[in-house]
Amino acid sequence: MGCLLGLVPDKARGLKGWISFIFLCVVFYFSLIVFKMENSSLTLTYPVIGSLSKFFHFRIDPLSKLVVLFIGFFGMIISLYSLRFVDGGLDYKGYYSKFLWTLAASFGAVLSDNLITFTLFWGFLGLTLYRFLRGSDERSVAAAKKSFILIGASDSILIMGLGLLWLKTGHYMISGMKVTLSGEVSIIAFLSLLIASLAKAGAFPVHSWVPDYTQAAPGSVSAFLPASLDKLLGIYFLARICTDIFILTPWAKLLLLTIGSVTIITAVMMALVQHNYKKLLGYHAVSQVGYMVTGLGLGSPIGMAGGLFHMINHALYKSGLFLTAGAVEKKTGQVNIENLGGLSTVMPFTFLSALIFALSISGVPPFNGFVSKWIIYQGIIDFGKGFSLASHLWVIWLGSAVIGSALTLASFIKLIGGIYLGAKRSKFKNIKETHFLMSVPYIIIALLCVGFGIAGTSVILPELITPVTGPFRFIGLWESQTVGILILLGILLGVIIYLMGNIKKIKTANNFIGGEYPAEDIQYPSVEFYKTLTDIKPIGWIYQKAREKYFDVYDWGKKIVLWASHILSGLHTGVLTLYVVWTIISLGLIILLLL
Amino acid sequence: MIKTIIHFLVFPGFLFLSVAGGFVSWFDRKITARVHFRKGPPLLQPFYDFIKLLAKETLIPKNSSPGLFLLAPVISFTATILAGILIILPAFGIESGFQGDLIVIIYLLMIPAISLIFGALASGNPLSSLGASREIKLLISYELPFLLTLLALVIRTDMSIKIQEIISEQKLFGPFIGSFSGALGFIVMMMCVQAKLALVPFDLAEAETEIVAGAYTEYSGTPLALFKITRYMLFFIMPSFVVILFLGGFDFKGWNIILSIGKVLLIALLITLVRNTNPRVKIKAAMKFFLVWMNLFAILSVILAVLKY
Repeated sequence: MGCLLGLVPDKARGLKGWISFIFLCVVFYFSLIVFKMENSSLTLTYPVIGSLSKFFHFRIDPLSKLVVLFIGFFGMIISLYSLRFVDGGLDYKGYYSKFLWTLAASFGAVLSDNLITFTLFWGFLGLTLYRFLRGSDERSVAAAKKSFILIGASDSILIMGLGLLWLKTGHYMISGMKVTLSGEVSIIAFLSLLIASLAKAGAFPVHSWVPDYTQAAPGSVSAFLPASLDKLLGIYFLARICTDIFILTPWAKLLLLTIGSVTIITAVMMALVQHNYKKLLGYHAVSQVGYMVTGLGLGSPIGMAGGLFHMINHALYKSGLFLTAGAVEKKTGQVNIENLGGLSTVMPFTFLSALIFALSISGVPPFNGFVSKWIIYQGIIDFGKGFSLASHLWVIWLGSAVIGSALTLASFIKLIGGIYLGAKRSKFKNIKETHFLMSVPYIIIALLCVGFGIAGTSVILPELITPVTGPFRFIGLWESQTVGILILLGILLGVIIYLMGNIKKIKTANNFIGGEYPAEDIQYPSVEFYKTLTDIKPIGWIYQKAREKYFDVYDWGKKIVLWASHILSGLHTGVLTLYVVWTIISLGLIILLLL
Repeated sequence: MIKTIIHFLVFPGFLFLSVAGGFVSWFDRKITARVHFRKGPPLLQPFYDFIKLLAKETLIPKNSSPGLFLLAPVISFTATILAGILIILPAFGIESGFQGDLIVIIYLLMIPAISLIFGALASGNPLSSLGASREIKLLISYELPFLLTLLALVIRTDMSIKIQEIISEQKLFGPFIGSFSGALGFIVMMMCVQAKLALVPFDLAEAETEIVAGAYTEYSGTPLALFKITRYMLFFIMPSFVVILFLGGFDFKGWNIILSIGKVLLIALLITLVRNTNPRVKIKAAMKFFLVWMNLFAILSVILAVLKY
């Protein structure tokens, strides 16, 4: 397996489009093989690497198999989408090569059992994330820089954590670590590893790079990195932290659950007031991480199952949403919701897929988002039976999760209503549906969303998730297959009632607006829906502060660094003697320290 | 499977729910008429309305997305039946393979509102859009208190989210309304039900006197009939849900039948009286009412439930 991974980037360099798609199909096939493999760990031995082979230690267990499968899947499907998306206009130098490098690094990170190797791949991913955003304007340069700095900073914290872990255990193998969280060293190590994983996945308080990145990046890149791969990896690492590397204490659970709930609510509240649909999706990419962190933070098999299943579901519908968003942007050239409207008739497939994704992410039954949220809710209720402080606060965790999903629904009604529904704009009359190579990927993903919803508890969960978490029992009741059949039946019944009614007399008529005929484009745009919310006092105040970037770690960091550099720059007077004095003083200090 | 389909179509599914809902709806209209010192409609009036709408022609606005516009009522109708059978099956003590828990019911009960919103947006009418905007804002406001009152009950039943266990707990220790937390929860729940049924003072999405018919403006003929029958069904489902949660559920032995029917009609009466004695509020006031006051009550109810009051 390692051999194969090493070959990926070399083969692809210089080759483009179809070749990389076909290659990625092969890679997907290989990841399927990996998924079918027995659990094992293998060490790569080459004569060349010699004694370094201890670093090339790979591990195949249910968790890494699961993640590998989906990384392979997303690599294939998004490269298929890219065929038309990238060729037609967007000149992206080395897009496919970066694409394959990213994929290879992700495979490496997931499979490696050695934390040093893991960190190498992990850091490399931060670099490709940065390189993917070729700054064509000031904003995207700033976004790329912000992402790179936040991810880079979290990586350096990760390395610090690794050092501490080594201090504690004396080795770097993930398997067989199981550090108990007692004493400062292990707690600091836990926190630093946690920050790294949360920064990658994009959870509060290190989330702020995600919305900026998705706003600037093209749809396919957003779908590839922040929406699917970074989530898979970040949550994969978090799962490793929660199960293999550390043993969670009640306080750690409390911390994780707090992070989860705060992430869900804050990000979705920000998403509600966005006008740029790509940024809105970015905020949702943050908000949904909250559910996964909550699920994993429960520390029970059912919570873990919910978290991991939500990770997969999220990767599906969020990458789908970014792909449809990319299609809309490509066809219309607009990125603000208020400039769009009525696209559902000209782009029916894109609209239908986007509608399915929107309903999935809002957790509407019977789609996949509902199933995983339902499992997480049960996990929380089950967790509430415990006796720690975190257990007693279960109502808060559950409340924020459910209200978060209602708010998600609200903001997606704005998105779907604003882009696809509402009055048709005359300027979009001549738009055609996207090329089938572009629409097929998101149609496949949409079908998977429905399939994962209907077959969620009966097929997907036992096949994919239970091997990772071990067996568990639901405390609730939900039969997705029966519901699927009944929904079909209900729709059939509806059609029968339609046929019973006066179906022959369907007429089209103008909109009734109080009997008047105002201008064609008059409408109440869905972006204005939530202005009322900002009018209500405490909420409006919080929004005001959020706009001033009070909740952005990056902004705080920037302020502190600028302040510090301002002080230091005071020393740069340009007088040579002063510099010499400083040098002598510091030399003296060093000598003092050494003695 | 066949059994489940019969449950879905006949009893306690589509047929039963629409007939029962029609009668509750008639009851509501009759009481309203008596409050207005009018005579009121005959018993079968809701069904006449439905059949009349079926015979009317269906208009589709030019500016609309016709597929979603016509699909929305069907989805709303299907989800309502599903929620209905999930609530009624355990309430009537019918053994069935098809079951669902409170979380599922919460989510299914959201769908009628969602599909109305999508239908309204699909019509392309600015007035419908206004109605949709109000509906979604109302939904996010009342969803939290609605959930919290249910969670108070979950605490009372030793963390079970199954309807059967909520009922059997009440059979053992008396209806939940008899306690402080239950009584508070009941008040909050009644307000949420009022909003879920979109009745005055929370009928903002429809608001005939302000925005024509709001979200329903463009609907006519058969699709409107479907929305209408959905509302009938909800008019039976929501009061039954309250009866199950707070008033000890149903019992069909001997004279208890009358008591059970009386409970549903009592809740329906309360809803009707509230709707006839209050003016419509503005959206901001409604949001504040739920976000601040009802949440406060609901949180208090949860705390009292934890303290076992």
